[in-house]
Amino acid sequence: MTLQKKYKILVVDDEPDLEPLLLQRMRRAIRAGRYEFVFAGNGLEALQRLDQDEEIDMVLSDINMPQMDGLTLLEQIPDVNPNIRSVIISAYGDMKNIRTAMNRGAFDFVTKPIDFKDLQVTIDRTLIHVEELREALMARDKLVTLQNELDVASNIQQSILPTELPREVDYQMFGSMKSARNVGGDFFDVVRLPDRRVGLAIADVSDKGVPAALFMMSTRTLLKGAAIGAINPGDVMETVNQLLCEDNEAAMFVTLLYAVYDPETGRLTYANGGHNPPLIVHQDNTSTLLPPTEGLALGLLPDYEYQQKTVTVEPGETLVLYTDGVTEAMNANEEEFGVERLQDIFTESYPREAHAITQLIFDAVDEFAGDTPQSDDVTCLTLCRG
Amino acid sequence: MALSIERNDGIMVAVAEGRVDGANAQEFQGELSEAIDPSDRAVILDLEEITYISSAGLRVILLTARALKRQNAELAVCSLSDAIREVFEISGFDKIIPVRESRPDAIASFQA
Repeated sequence: MTLQKKYKILVVDDEPDLEPLLLQRMRRAIRAGRYEFVFAGNGLEALQRLDQDEEIDMVLSDINMPQMDGLTLLEQIPDVNPNIRSVIISAYGDMKNIRTAMNRGAFDFVTKPIDFKDLQVTIDRTLIHVEELREALMARDKLVTLQNELDVASNIQQSILPTELPREVDYQMFGSMKSARNVGGDFFDVVRLPDRRVGLAIADVSDKGVPAALFMMSTRTLLKGAAIGAINPGDVMETVNQLLCEDNEAAMFVTLLYAVYDPETGRLTYANGGHNPPLIVHQDNTSTLLPPTEGLALGLLPDYEYQQKTVTVEPGETLVLYTDGVTEAMNANEEEFGVERLQDIFTESYPREAHAITQLIFDAVDEFAGDTPQSDDVTCLTLCRG
Repeated sequence: MALSIERNDGIMVAVAEGRVDGANAQEFQGELSEAIDPSDRAVILDLEEITYISSAGLRVILLTARALKRQNAELAVCSLSDAIREVFEISGFDKIIPVRESRPDAIASFQA
């Protein structure tokens, strides 16, 4: 690091000889515009000066002075400006005062008679430290700002997830997303369609964090529009895929499963765009994965034709939509949670209630992962047919 | 994640090892794009030693395929373990990136 701007140094000493001597011996550095010296006669004056002049970068102070000595000054400086560093001038061999000064936060010391070459090295070293401290503080402020923005973004993202999920006499739904970072790339959505039908979606954007969150927001908006405009899941997928493929220079993509459920018949028509196959839990506590539809993650290939399939969710059956954050959750032994553990949740009797089931899944993943940090967003959407 | 490179007759073979996830995808992408030479006509990604690949890792493969296309070169992946093959199949990546059984198969496909 090199010192580039002009630094202001406050010199505190009651002996009037120091001022002309210092100005004379440092004249080159002063003329080159590297230092500017200002002077105070004792600790009290120095504090007033520091209070009035925020441009002072460091203090060079004698110890023995009337009114307020250098050691007391050292204690007071942080109250005026905590980022100022001080260098103490002590008598040669006065180890007791030097130790006290260092313990009270002096950055360094020089001894009398002053070796001006050594003083200049000491001043520069102190100023570099001051400069590094300022940069670190600025970086910290930036981080705090960024963190605050991310918190806001996180709230916005959670707030677009549906909260009013259907709780009808013949079926009910519940969903939840837990991001690995402040913002995530997963989402789920539920769209009310004509004739009591309901569209349900679960999605996972490639990558995590802010880029994924931005892509997730646009996917979710496109999906909402497409879902209201068309009834066939395959058509909905094609519309969203087409729009996502346009201007997708960043090569982001999203796996998306979109389904339309008809509570009158229990029929579920779905198209799978590269997403983990949902689980259907039967009345006898066994479960199977929904058969695949020839699908591809969205945003990869324009004009791709998405196929759809129809199954029936029987009364008493449960449909579980999830992202790979569930099945790929890791434990300390680097084992994955996997589909089988997801199925195991339902092999014993379980509450036939969507909210409780979603909670069971999150709890099982948490318990499995233990202290291993969550590396991916975990999302789950459950539908129970009564 | 570790990457080693071999090259023969304009075909580059990149052997990747370990996990590719959100944490090291960018590094993987940087190393891969640095390794590719403008004179390469094909790149084979040997994934035999890859234990896990996340969607961020798949995106690197997609970006590499696109970059190669711009220099009229092709990309194939080979030697996928069952777990990695499943990721390719579920996401549909096997439909846009040629998947070969073995490295000789992949090399042969570019020599035909």
